[in-house]
Amino acid sequence: MTVRPEESTGAMTVRPERGADAMTVRPEGAAGAVTGGLLLYARSRTLPLTVASLAATGALAVWAAHGLDAYLDPSRRVPVVALAPLLAAAAIGASLYSASEELDRTAVRPWWRRRLVQLLALTALAAVLLPPAVLGHVSSFGPPAMIRNTLGCTGLAAAAAALLGARLSWLPVFGYVSAVYMGAAGVHGGVVPVWAWLVQPAGEWDGWIVALVAFGAGGVLYVVRGARPEGPRG
Amino acid sequence: MTLVAKEAEAAEAAEAAREAGSGKRAAPPNHPLRAEFLRGFAPWAGAAVLLTLAVGMAAAAAEWQGGWAETRDRLHVGAQLLGVPLALAACCWQGGRERRRRTGELMSAAARGPLARFLASALPVACWVVAGYAVATGLALLATAFYATGDRPHLVVPLTDAVALGSAAVVGQVVGRLVPWRLTAPALAVAGYVGVGVLAYEGTSPVRHLSPLADGSVTDVPVWWQPLAMAAWTGGLATAAVLAYAARRRFTALLPLAAATAAGALLVQTGDGLWHADPLARRQVCDTSTTPQICVNARYEGLLPQVTEALSGLTGRLEGVENLPVRFADLPRRPKPDEAELPMITPIGWSVVRGRLTDPREFAWAAGMALYGRGECETTDPRVARIDDAVEAYLAPSPLQQDFDEADAKGGKAERDRLKERIEARARLAGMGDEERRAWLSEYFATADECDPKEVPAL
Repeated sequence: MTVRPEESTGAMTVRPERGADAMTVRPEGAAGAVTGGLLLYARSRTLPLTVASLAATGALAVWAAHGLDAYLDPSRRVPVVALAPLLAAAAIGASLYSASEELDRTAVRPWWRRRLVQLLALTALAAVLLPPAVLGHVSSFGPPAMIRNTLGCTGLAAAAAALLGARLSWLPVFGYVSAVYMGAAGVHGGVVPVWAWLVQPAGEWDGWIVALVAFGAGGVLYVVRGARPEGPRG
Repeated sequence: MTLVAKEAEAAEAAEAAREAGSGKRAAPPNHPLRAEFLRGFAPWAGAAVLLTLAVGMAAAAAEWQGGWAETRDRLHVGAQLLGVPLALAACCWQGGRERRRRTGELMSAAARGPLARFLASALPVACWVVAGYAVATGLALLATAFYATGDRPHLVVPLTDAVALGSAAVVGQVVGRLVPWRLTAPALAVAGYVGVGVLAYEGTSPVRHLSPLADGSVTDVPVWWQPLAMAAWTGGLATAAVLAYAARRRFTALLPLAAATAAGALLVQTGDGLWHADPLARRQVCDTSTTPQICVNARYEGLLPQVTEALSGLTGRLEGVENLPVRFADLPRRPKPDEAELPMITPIGWSVVRGRLTDPREFAWAAGMALYGRGECETTDPRVARIDDAVEAYLAPSPLQQDFDEADAKGGKAERDRLKERIEARARLAGMGDEERRAWLSEYFATADECDPKEVPAL
């Protein structure tokens, strides 16, 4: 929840009421005109901009995949299948930032439901927007691989937001994706699909397991703990 | 802010006066840059570059360790595809620091000008990024030094890449200061990746030479001025961006911009002429004591004893045989008519890993197969195929020969009959006397590329 100073000191006041949503902000003198708590929550997390970023990522992925001549060799799609989920995860991770962490802690209702809904909704949106860029080649680098990578990268970003802070959550994900992208090219072996799940064909089930574990663990960590509080020195 | 600063200054002066009065000498204050270098985000950025490059390099170590040119190229790709986007993103994040801390107003009241303030914030991160890259480069070169089999370290390309990384770092800082958006850093990183990649893979267009990623192959080296031009191109653009953003006289940005444009024009105009074949790669070293002689490329001349050892069984059996190629050649061109091609040693990571032949038996078999070739024949007569198989089994059998034989033994009657004939032919060749076999093999190698079955001597 964000209550801007000009809002809280002006005509708007925050009234945590028993039985009512603690986040509801009622403008005085305008009875009945209630701004929903969820709407304020969405605005405080810059969700409109995040949704726009995800849409732009999807468009960029379509453009990039178009120029790769992937019909010759599906593995040419690997840059798109790795980088588009990375950018989407960065957008989702950055949206987990709360500008008023101390104030949030005073809320009556638990935050975990909102966090869960936010994370799931944004991940689902990304999983819908990105796959159209790589239609076909289902068992190698097609829509399933894009969805798997979106889940895995988002899980990593959520974990990084919980441990490092939401604003810098993109950094570990970026480093990991970059290193795997370069290091896993042409490397095969027993444990390679475990750490290089990102660049495995979608038919490899161990890649899916790692991505789902990453999403589950990162998601639970964020939902339970929230993003790490960041001071002005961040 | 100004009042607060003045008060702090007055308190500091009073403290200094007290210490002077009491005869104590105040410890000299640390330079402000010291804190910028040692604390905050800068060391983390360097660590991130080092870690990313180290993991990316180590995971595929078999493909570059032991070859200096391969190490150079792998580091180059790592620096450009991982380092540049990471440097852009990390420094972009650093650029937004004053905004996040809300200290922009305080900083604007500082005595130093905007350029000095910018550099005080940007240079530490740039230096740490380059230091991270330098350590990764040092580790990679060290890893190769233990297994190197020839050639020499190529240091000019890493130096050029360091300039590109430093340039990316300051450009990232400029963008971070200009664009107040939480996603600027990752978006800039992806833009950097796409920019470097798209430029480099711009087909045959000469524009691709503007990308710092563009390069030749492991057997190519750049002309001597290419690194200078590339450094002027990347460094000039970055300097122009910094001066345009922070200089008191912004028109000074035109000077580095002009230098960058000139360097860029030079790179585009020269095009493919920027790279030429490495003179070393066009030489080979040979062991002339064997028949045929064995040559390996001078880039990995240290492998010659191993290759000679691996082929010793083959060359031993060919001693005294005539009509053979003069040598196994290993040059970046098609072998001459009197030469056979040495089985592929490069790209390393397959038949050679960390300076060792991975499978000498298979290498010897591949070398034996290079001595005769009926690849251009439309069909191969079964009798000739049987004879070729017998020669192959005598000189250097395939490691998979037994598997093929077992598969045929379990097959239908036709397969079993073919296997029986093959085994009989092998036995006939093996059972010949030495002189007789040498004479027969000399006759056989005279028809090694004949398609007409009548030309091939009977066995």
